[in-house]
Amino acid sequence: MSDGMNRRKFLKVLGVTGGGAAALAGCSTDHVEKLIPYLVPVEDQIPGIATYYASTCRECAAGCGVHVKVREGRAIKLEGNPDNPINQGRLCTRAQTALQGTYNPDRMQGPMAKGADGTFKPISWDDAIAKVATALDGVSGDKVWFLTGNERGSFAELVDEWLRALGSSHHVTWEAFSYEAARYANRALFGLDALPTYAMDQAKYVLSFGADFLETWHSPIEYAREFTASHAFQNGKMGRFVHVEPRMSLTGMNADEWLPAAAGSEGAVALAMANVIMGEKLSATPADARRFEDALKEYTPEAAAARSGLDADTIRRVAREFAAGPSVALPGGVGTQHPDAHATAAAVMVLNYVAGNIGKTVVFGAGATPAGGSAYTDLVNLVEAMNAGRVQVLFVHGANPVFAAPQALKVADALGKVKFKVSFARFMDETAADCDLILPDHDPYEQWNDFEPRDGVHLLQQPVMQPVFTTRQTGDVLIDVAREVGGTLQKQFAPASPDAATYKDYLQGRWKTIQRTVGNHDPFDTFWRNALKQGGVWSTPRAQPVRLVSGAAQVLATAPWAPPKGKLTLIAYPSSTVYDGRGANRPWLQEMPDPVTKMTWGSWVEIHPETAEHLGIAEGDIVDITSEIGTVRVQVYVYPGLRPDVVAMPTGQGHTAYGRYAKDRGANVFALLDAKATVFGGVSHYAAVTLEGTGDHVRLAKAEGGTRQLDRGIAQAITLAAATKGDYRAWEAQEAAPIPERVKAQQESWQEHVDRGKDYGPYKLETTRWGMSIDLSKCTGCSACVTACFAENNLPVVGPDLVRQHRQMHWMRIERYFEGGGDKPLEARFVPMLCQQCGNAPCEPVCPVFAAYHTPDGLNGQVYNRCVGTRYCSNNCPYKVRYFNWFDYSKKGDPYFAWPEPMNWLLNPDVTVRGKGVMEKCTFCIQRIRGAQHEAKLKGVPLKDGDILTACQQTCPTEAIVFGNLTDPGSRVSLLSEQRRGYKVLEGLNTKPAVTYLEKVRNVVEA
Amino acid sequence: MATTAHPEPATQQGQPSYHDVTRDIAATLGNPGRGYFILMAFVLTVLAAGIIALLVQIRYGLGEAGYEPPVMWGVYITSFVFWVGIAHSGTLISAILYLFRSAWRTAVYRTAEAMTVFAVMTAGLFPLIHIGRIWYFYWLIPYPNQRGLWVNFKSPLLWDVFAVSTYFTVSATFLFVGLVPDIAAVRDHVTGWRKKLYRITGLGWRGTDQQWRHFGKAYLYLAALATPLVLSVHSVVSWDFAMSIVPGWHETIFAPYFVAGAIYSGVAMVVTLLVPMRKAFKLERYIRLEHFDNLAKLMLLTGMIVGYSYVVEWFMAWYSGNAVERASAFYRQFGSYWWGAWTMNICNCLLPLFLWFKKVRNSIPALFVLSLFVNLGMWMERFIIIVSSLAHEYEPYWMHHYTPSWVDWTILAGSFAWFFMWFLLFAKNFPTVSIVEVKEIIPFPRKERARA
Repeated sequence: MSDGMNRRKFLKVLGVTGGGAAALAGCSTDHVEKLIPYLVPVEDQIPGIATYYASTCRECAAGCGVHVKVREGRAIKLEGNPDNPINQGRLCTRAQTALQGTYNPDRMQGPMAKGADGTFKPISWDDAIAKVATALDGVSGDKVWFLTGNERGSFAELVDEWLRALGSSHHVTWEAFSYEAARYANRALFGLDALPTYAMDQAKYVLSFGADFLETWHSPIEYAREFTASHAFQNGKMGRFVHVEPRMSLTGMNADEWLPAAAGSEGAVALAMANVIMGEKLSATPADARRFEDALKEYTPEAAAARSGLDADTIRRVAREFAAGPSVALPGGVGTQHPDAHATAAAVMVLNYVAGNIGKTVVFGAGATPAGGSAYTDLVNLVEAMNAGRVQVLFVHGANPVFAAPQALKVADALGKVKFKVSFARFMDETAADCDLILPDHDPYEQWNDFEPRDGVHLLQQPVMQPVFTTRQTGDVLIDVAREVGGTLQKQFAPASPDAATYKDYLQGRWKTIQRTVGNHDPFDTFWRNALKQGGVWSTPRAQPVRLVSGAAQVLATAPWAPPKGKLTLIAYPSSTVYDGRGANRPWLQEMPDPVTKMTWGSWVEIHPETAEHLGIAEGDIVDITSEIGTVRVQVYVYPGLRPDVVAMPTGQGHTAYGRYAKDRGANVFALLDAKATVFGGVSHYAAVTLEGTGDHVRLAKAEGGTRQLDRGIAQAITLAAATKGDYRAWEAQEAAPIPERVKAQQESWQEHVDRGKDYGPYKLETTRWGMSIDLSKCTGCSACVTACFAENNLPVVGPDLVRQHRQMHWMRIERYFEGGGDKPLEARFVPMLCQQCGNAPCEPVCPVFAAYHTPDGLNGQVYNRCVGTRYCSNNCPYKVRYFNWFDYSKKGDPYFAWPEPMNWLLNPDVTVRGKGVMEKCTFCIQRIRGAQHEAKLKGVPLKDGDILTACQQTCPTEAIVFGNLTDPGSRVSLLSEQRRGYKVLEGLNTKPAVTYLEKVRNVVEA
Repeated sequence: MATTAHPEPATQQGQPSYHDVTRDIAATLGNPGRGYFILMAFVLTVLAAGIIALLVQIRYGLGEAGYEPPVMWGVYITSFVFWVGIAHSGTLISAILYLFRSAWRTAVYRTAEAMTVFAVMTAGLFPLIHIGRIWYFYWLIPYPNQRGLWVNFKSPLLWDVFAVSTYFTVSATFLFVGLVPDIAAVRDHVTGWRKKLYRITGLGWRGTDQQWRHFGKAYLYLAALATPLVLSVHSVVSWDFAMSIVPGWHETIFAPYFVAGAIYSGVAMVVTLLVPMRKAFKLERYIRLEHFDNLAKLMLLTGMIVGYSYVVEWFMAWYSGNAVERASAFYRQFGSYWWGAWTMNICNCLLPLFLWFKKVRNSIPALFVLSLFVNLGMWMERFIIIVSSLAHEYEPYWMHHYTPSWVDWTILAGSFAWFFMWFLLFAKNFPTVSIVEVKEIIPFPRKERARA
């Protein structure tokens, strides 16, 4: 990295946070703006010691709190903020890659204006602001529109006020996935344009109708945590989770039972269940639910079975189990994205209502607003206005409709009819490319801001470092424009002292109001500092009772989704990695295997094996998918977790701009979707399509090899019934061959020998032995640990070509194995596979130069400097968790250089950047272990259990991973490892792994 | 040589005289013809290509080769084992058969011995080509250093370092010592720069009785020293695999199996080399059909042992009852490398069965073709053992298919070029058939006095 960092730059960065940085380990509250040379060292900045700042993750609308780890003036890692009520210290895959947005080499480096020749040229901020002012000059306020993504907080209010001062009310908020159907249903049923929160931790029975709550739906970390709280096997008990969806999503993979209902038939299934509950009087159904009786009559389990392809008895059984409660039914995700989804959402709410769940597990008033109340119709209105010439000046912030809206809406054409378009995009996305002026906003970790993910939760963002480029916060830009324009605008935003008014002032002004609402009586400064330290302020909002409105039953009348004969239903589902496309420029997200398909870099269409065979298509074939709207060309992934009449494609790829990592990768599924707004005002993510092979074939860039574990007991699971009986280790029973007597005798004598060894040397276990336990009944396969490991350990991305050769460098990988299928229900199991830190490691003795060695505290160390690259260790590792540097990923100019400036700022200075020809591996974040040990030593206190968190453990949303000292009998990891559910992978090889997996427990209905 | 037994009495007619021997064999050292230069140019071109491929690999990284995890060893280690194996028959023929007093070896042993040295020289390159940081290859050698770093004597790879370097030293010495009287013989016949060369390499050999006595003893002891290496070196090489826990590698049969395979492939290579050389150098009088017949018998014997080993491997995979072992064995035969496995089964087990027929053993073209097949089969055997075992280990999620890239193939071709370059140089500069030993087995001359 010598080219990336020279002495001057190093010192510059070292000095950046000099202005403030109040607390060493706490969270600084002061504005950092000035560069101070390190001639006089800053007292509270110690090189080599990280500073953490609280902020808020803005990757999605959930509002998770983060602690940004800053080393020598640069943010290098995000960790969850344990104070935050939503994520409680945990982060997801996407959040872990957020800093790749900050340090993205394709970020806009400063304001740009489109010249006459249509290309962008850099201009100064002053000129840029003058340009905006000129453009606004003389334009009727009514013709100024502002399009933002989901902003709920001071920025949204600023935009509203700013527009109002101009005489406009055209603030359009738009998100590609906006929950319109659920909101419509709630309006129709309860007269509330709101979304409830679902108390999944209270529910012992979770029934999801397509809600992918472990991936993108609402607040995935929060729901993953709550789901695990009720569903993970604890103290001999666990909840049950049934997932109804035509495609087995990651959430579906975590279900005890997956019911592949026909696309669009989920509503009918829900109503049939409500019918059963009402008919059999299984629940304390509210009295007014009788209004649904007539509407429900036609939804007998048999009728629903005919429509959905499920078994009527199954529907009845699930209804009864559901009614036994406490339960919750979730509408959403793929299940509420077809043209008739409002009816589906309503049906699910009716099921909740009938089962008496409203107010208990389905709580209104807590005010979750995952998409900021946006609606697709608002975007349609904007496009209509643009086409009609009613828009003269358009501002776009945090939205990319040219890419993420149905292509048939032709947003790009409409933009062409707007005289002056200003984008605040941080990247040259498709929409920014069509604008006239780009005024790049700060990254979330470079700016002051706040965010209200739900009522009563106010989260703060603070700049943790000097901006990487000459970007400027949009709030400040708007205020500057106001100053330039003068008149009402100036009066409102830039009062008497022209230099004083900044967005931070505006923000603090608003927080004075917030202080009043939360009833805090401290001086504002104290309140502000505490809020910053904590990441915000929050209170528990009061639940709001709801009642059915009259005519509520009408919404249930459904027109089932039925593609014309001979066509397949295409479901465009939100990608859990790149989402609606905004994550596509993060190489880590591109390279992280999709949790379901294990695909990387690009898009694919999932086809059921039967359908593929019928169409004569094999995996890796390139097909044309044609809907009435358009055609896309994409590679085929054959996936058994799908109904044969459905094909599925993730969103988010197929960018035509958006930087080197996103551009020209995969295909944009939005090109297949109808632009017409549905009844509920959203987009239908379903389309009737035909598939046609093109004859081309590619090798898929997928991370996995085999999908079956070949009875090797790698991912073990037992049923709840077996677990309650104490019948653990069901897998062993499959080892049918009985052990002969003579072998037994030999085994015993060997065991004696081993036991004798326990009295001396390393077997005595007097010193520390680091170990880990991974609870598979908690692991959801979300892969947050994978990206956390990327960020912590400087793992390079290798690109799709090398992934095709399986040369990816993922120290932590989530193996996904299928069980069943065919006649039996398909079951997916996850195993996070990392170095097992074997006590008797096969990798160590084979290294000719002692690069692989055993540390005194039980780790399989790897001395990168000493490694000559014979790769014998990897051959001899049964777990295959050693990764080789086939190329120089850290050398500028080499073909697979992974850290283009300024991405190299992301590197963790505590971890070596490996060169070519070296084997590398997980060492349980040894830098964290040693760091904590040093800290404890400096403080003169013994190291406590829980002082060391590995990166994967820290981020795991469900606390499936626990790390600690195995020789400490009281440590959490020791207690967990000794659970009877515990097993070691490939235990028969006598490798004595330090990682204990706790068998997954499945709450299945025994046939 | 005094210790070599007398051959069966042969008729005086058709037997070359001592003078003929010196003249005929020294004639092979005459000015090279156009064919030789064309061949040499070809060989050097291929070698240059191999070097370029290697440089590309060193510059950009091992990723230029086709490696696909979990297959971390591929063409290079295959070729390493192949070349070490080739080397073995040379020592077998020159040392073991010497100790066993097999007179027929005299005609072929020099070629075999030279082949041994060049094959070890080729083999020794591959571990270096194969490691990730070739520039630190010396870290594999235990040398005292300030940093207190030492090598791991538990690692079979380190045993390899010693095995191969010892083998090279001993076989090179053996070849050279055997050459001394011959060099002296040709020294007296040549002029020009080669005179100087031979004067130095002839070590002042004058053929005195004392020299002969010392020579005889030295040769005998060196033969005794080299003999255990025939068994040990390839056993050590096989332990690279057998000491691991990789299913398909972790087998106790590996050492004898590999040694037999090594001799098998080596003898095949000797045949491959002898046939064209005999023709080009017109040495039919010295390298006769009976020699080929004997070589063929040796091939047949070792081939049968190899075939037996295959069967034992299959049987043990089944008999062990170990599911992983069974899966690996099944994958080897019927998995994605089935083509390689069946190439090796056919080339190594089926085709050599023709050698039961004397007609085949006595047909030079048939032997030549068969030897090529065995060479191919034995290379493939190592490839399949290494690659298919690694491709199908314990972790099903991490089972992938490796395909070598152009770099692998070019470097492999380059290694053949490297080998043949040395061989061509040797053949034109040193007697490829031992003058001394051939003379020893010629019946005593009655009328004509020996010269030289």
